[in-house]
Amino acid sequence: MIAAISWRNIWRNKWRSIVIIMAITAGLTGGIFTVAIYNGLAEQKLRTAIDTQTAHLQMHASGFQENMDIRLYLHDADRMLAVAGAQPGVQAVAGRLIATGMAASANSNIGIRLNGIVPEKEKAISTIYQSLVEGDYFQNEKRNQVLISSRTAKKLKVGLNGKVVVTLQDLNGDIVGAAFRVGGIFKTTHTGFDETNVFVLKRDLERILSMDGIVNEIAIRASDIEAVPGVQRRLQETFPPKETQVESWRELQPELAYINDVTWQVNYLILVIILLALAFGILNTMLMAIFERVREIGVLMAVGMSKARIFSMIILETVFLSLTGAALGMVISAWLVSTLGTSGIDLSAFAQGLEAFGYSSMIYPQLEPLFYLTLACMVVIAALLSSLYPAYKALELNPVEAIHG
Amino acid sequence: MSIINVIGVGKVYNPETIPVHALTAVNLEFRKGEFTAIVGPSGCGKTTLLNMIGGLDYPTSGNVIINDTDLSTLTSKQLIRFRLHNIGFVFQDYSLLPVLTARENTEFIMQLQKRSKKEYRERSTALLTEVGLADRLDTFPRKLSGGQQQRVAVARALAAKPQFVLADEPTANLDSRSTTELLDIMLRLNREEHITFIFSTHDQRVIEKARRVIRLEDGKVIQSGEMKEGQ
Repeated sequence: MIAAISWRNIWRNKWRSIVIIMAITAGLTGGIFTVAIYNGLAEQKLRTAIDTQTAHLQMHASGFQENMDIRLYLHDADRMLAVAGAQPGVQAVAGRLIATGMAASANSNIGIRLNGIVPEKEKAISTIYQSLVEGDYFQNEKRNQVLISSRTAKKLKVGLNGKVVVTLQDLNGDIVGAAFRVGGIFKTTHTGFDETNVFVLKRDLERILSMDGIVNEIAIRASDIEAVPGVQRRLQETFPPKETQVESWRELQPELAYINDVTWQVNYLILVIILLALAFGILNTMLMAIFERVREIGVLMAVGMSKARIFSMIILETVFLSLTGAALGMVISAWLVSTLGTSGIDLSAFAQGLEAFGYSSMIYPQLEPLFYLTLACMVVIAALLSSLYPAYKALELNPVEAIHG
Repeated sequence: MSIINVIGVGKVYNPETIPVHALTAVNLEFRKGEFTAIVGPSGCGKTTLLNMIGGLDYPTSGNVIINDTDLSTLTSKQLIRFRLHNIGFVFQDYSLLPVLTARENTEFIMQLQKRSKKEYRERSTALLTEVGLADRLDTFPRKLSGGQQQRVAVARALAAKPQFVLADEPTANLDSRSTTELLDIMLRLNREEHITFIFSTHDQRVIEKARRVIRLEDGKVIQSGEMKEGQ
């Protein structure tokens, strides 16, 4: 009966309750949707970085990552590739030859990172082949082809089949160079990556550098992100860190790891702020409701309703009011997230700004189902907290004074 | 046999600032089956006396003893429980819960007493039938007339099977027809089921029906006696 009274009490002042329910619905919908967008952005940035840049894990000779010295290569690369590829949880491995140098056209020149790859192996690791906007992904296997980004193409003022001269240092520290033809132009959602990375066939780079069968980076794709720590630990146990560094995407992209780690904290912080604001609205509504019913509460006390029951009645009323708004907010948010999570939100008007930070201009909001459950618990806690003061005020009433005003 | 003993009860409001003596050394005894009106001018202490008897307030001096229980020895929590099981209340403005139907308002008290569903369902139906509302069981108070609401209030007061019913100006807001109907019901319950009614009133029609009248003035009992037929 207490629950029935509490529920019906909500609807005594229909419009006041509807207004606070709408406020809770709007607040939570906004909060949940913001969190879903933030999640979608973070997830997409992480996926893009792993898919196009780092893979899940990389192996280098110790010291290579610090100064990109071409002389620091993996001496037993074939065995390393075989061992890494045989690890449980590993989907694919690919050896790369990485070098830094300059790319020059007739009009301009820029600093670049040359990625010497084996296309068919690389396809299992990186999705860069899906990012081509012009040309093809080393399809005809012609010599000295280079894939450059559209930004690099613009800077060098070259197009497809345009000539790019690459100069770099070989193993002996001598400057060597070669002319490449632009075989493809790619565009990822990360401006920084696009501006520095170019792709060539590994065998072409080996020939220029007079290095045969040399690998200075092994990229590893795991079956899923959860498998990464295990693979990393096993590989590092097999290949001592003194000679070989096995780094996961977390070490390779520390800012991404940070974003990934703080995402849930930011999500809950956003919701706590929203719930805090709503809690004051709920508290105000409940106080008004209590002050309007002083006489009625006095009568309930007079006829023998215990203070504990009066307390429960007010708490339940607040929880019902809050959960009604929260349920509506969650249903609307779930629908929005589900719909826009499939179709995406096109923010191409802000593409330049977003891509400068490695974000795509198509955003796919996403949320774990567990989040809704946690949120429901948070709403109940907020409702309980905001009902304490009104309930306390009700308990302070003296039945005689309450009944006789 | 007396069920209520009011012994030297005094009540002073604002004793520290401007003392108001609402009751002064009131001694009264109520027996089972009484139909008693407490009368007197406004401010004479009628409601204060009912509050003391009903355990809603503590006297400044003296004692209210109900069936060997001295109310002044009970804590506020014990008083709430005592009221629930021993005293029925009828208020001037009916004071029904607007969100409950007539039946639910009557059952509510029995649910607080933790009676079984079967018991409270049967009793609420019987009580509402007795007060002439058998056809309005599931009607909310806002759809009932003042007289009908007060009859639900009487049914609610009786639902707890109290030792006695206290009614503070029960007919003050009723028209003459509703007043007559309510009085007839209360008299019938008093006569047939020996329910004890103690009520404060200004209403001459109610005073005429009372079997005992206690007259208060300035917080003191100036007259207490049985009414003769036609008095």
